[in-house]
Amino acid sequence: MRKRNFSKNIQIIIFSVILLLWIFIPVYWIIKTAFSPEEEAWNLAPSSNLTLNNFRKIFSGKRELAPGEISMEEVTGVSLTISSTINRPLLNTLWVSVLAVTFTMVVSSLAGYNLARFVYPGKKFASSLILFAYVFPPFILMVPMTLILKRIGLTDSLFGLSIVHLAYTIPFATYMLSGYFMGIPRELDEAAMVDGCSRFQAFLRITLPLAAPGLVTVAIFSFVLSWGDVIFATVLINDVDKYTLPLHIGFFLYGGEIVDPGALAATTIFAGLVPALLYLTVQRFVRMGIVAGAVKG
Amino acid sequence: MNLRLLKRLDDWFYLLPALFFLTFVLIIPLVYIFALSFYKMPLGREAVFIGFANFTRILKDALFYKSLKNTFLYAFPAVGIKAVIGLAVAVFLNQKFRGRGFLRAISILPWALPPFICAVLFWFIYDYRGIGNFLLSLFGLKPIHWLGFEYAMPSIILVNVWHGWPFFYLGFLAGLQAIPEELYESASIDGASSWQKFLYVTLPILKPVFWIVCSLSLMWTMGDFVIPKMMTGGGPADATLTIPIATYKIAFLLGLNYPLASAYAVSILPIFAILIFFTLRQMGGSQ
Repeated sequence: MRKRNFSKNIQIIIFSVILLLWIFIPVYWIIKTAFSPEEEAWNLAPSSNLTLNNFRKIFSGKRELAPGEISMEEVTGVSLTISSTINRPLLNTLWVSVLAVTFTMVVSSLAGYNLARFVYPGKKFASSLILFAYVFPPFILMVPMTLILKRIGLTDSLFGLSIVHLAYTIPFATYMLSGYFMGIPRELDEAAMVDGCSRFQAFLRITLPLAAPGLVTVAIFSFVLSWGDVIFATVLINDVDKYTLPLHIGFFLYGGEIVDPGALAATTIFAGLVPALLYLTVQRFVRMGIVAGAVKG
Repeated sequence: MNLRLLKRLDDWFYLLPALFFLTFVLIIPLVYIFALSFYKMPLGREAVFIGFANFTRILKDALFYKSLKNTFLYAFPAVGIKAVIGLAVAVFLNQKFRGRGFLRAISILPWALPPFICAVLFWFIYDYRGIGNFLLSLFGLKPIHWLGFEYAMPSIILVNVWHGWPFFYLGFLAGLQAIPEELYESASIDGASSWQKFLYVTLPILKPVFWIVCSLSLMWTMGDFVIPKMMTGGGPADATLTIPIATYKIAFLLGLNYPLASAYAVSILPIFAILIFFTLRQMGGSQ
């Protein structure tokens, strides 16, 4: 018996190590590069003199050269003069995501409540439409959305971009929120209505506050969806001043080669840290949310 | 009568804002792309209705078949590998042991990172100075051009797999947790080995989850734009040109032929329609 436990433990350790390596090798590599001085960017081992230079550079556009160090611009002849700091794209991305999430939460909490509580003819169609919109691959919307926004003059507009992001966020948020609302006993808002609340007051005063953890979770997921959009930003935004982070990151590739690895790594960490941290804070809801949602419908 | 109508309006009121936005960002664009695929749009002139001409054109177009083939070559292996890894990790993390909570939390990290971040992570790995070639050298292999013609497709599949496997893991884990312990106990009493338990208890119960997760992921992987676009842009020499990338290139890079690009996108819709129908039925069925 003891021997069997021992071999089982070995199995668990081996499997854990493989899993951790599989997840962390790509992440380790970029973190290491971000904190390494420029000349050690491609060394495998962590540099002995870690530095915040790359982060300083992406925010201020300048970095201090170590004594005797030659700047990358001198070596490659390519300088990152076009929008060399992360500030503008970061603010743009934040603005688009916050706007999209605000719209989404208002619209989707109403719709989710409707799907969770009401019974009426056509409801099955409505909920299928939401589900259909949720699973639908968004690249199909690329061409028509561009032409429509061109016609109404909303290309190269961050406002327009955030409206388009609702194609991702509304179906997703509505679907998830209806699941959360279903988990709140309907007797509670019915009781409030017996006591003289209107349906809408019952929704605002009873159901919404009770669903607060769900609302936060869904808001965070919607934020990450909008934050990670490449498709619509690529086709709708041409003005460099309105670039979002995924577009900005494209500046670091020149002829298929990474121009300034340190700055790119620092930028990527910054762009990835926000969603990763948000996700991890609500990760215990992930299982209940997305998958309980996806599996139990 | 009036009261009933009012009640009906009240029901719909909650849904109306969502329907309004969805009409604008989803339904109108979908109708529009269908319509557009039957037109010709010479630059700067009025659109002309040309019936099925765009479709007959792409049916004779070698590039279309190539991108269709690439879409399958990208999606099927990616989904298969993701399913295997997801299942293995779910079974592993469904056991009780110390540190399980940490591993579970960390396992969703790749899925939590937006795809464009995953793409950049792999820029660093696939660079000729990167860790990819170092790993090869550990096995005594020569460095390769990861994103060169020969290896581009497997390389971008690896990115997709790394990003997407936690979706399968989450689905399978939820399925596993729903299996009552007694089933395994009674199987043990009947003398089943752990492999037999996996084969005859675990797998059959996971079947519905398996189909939902696979069909969703198949659809998303076939429609994936971000990873091929950011890794190779469809190159080199169209080796990774999938339907989404072809749609983008035809519409926005080569000659702004929106109707032809629409025909590319529309032509793959029947496959999506089948997958969506299948998924919705499975999801509805398990309710």
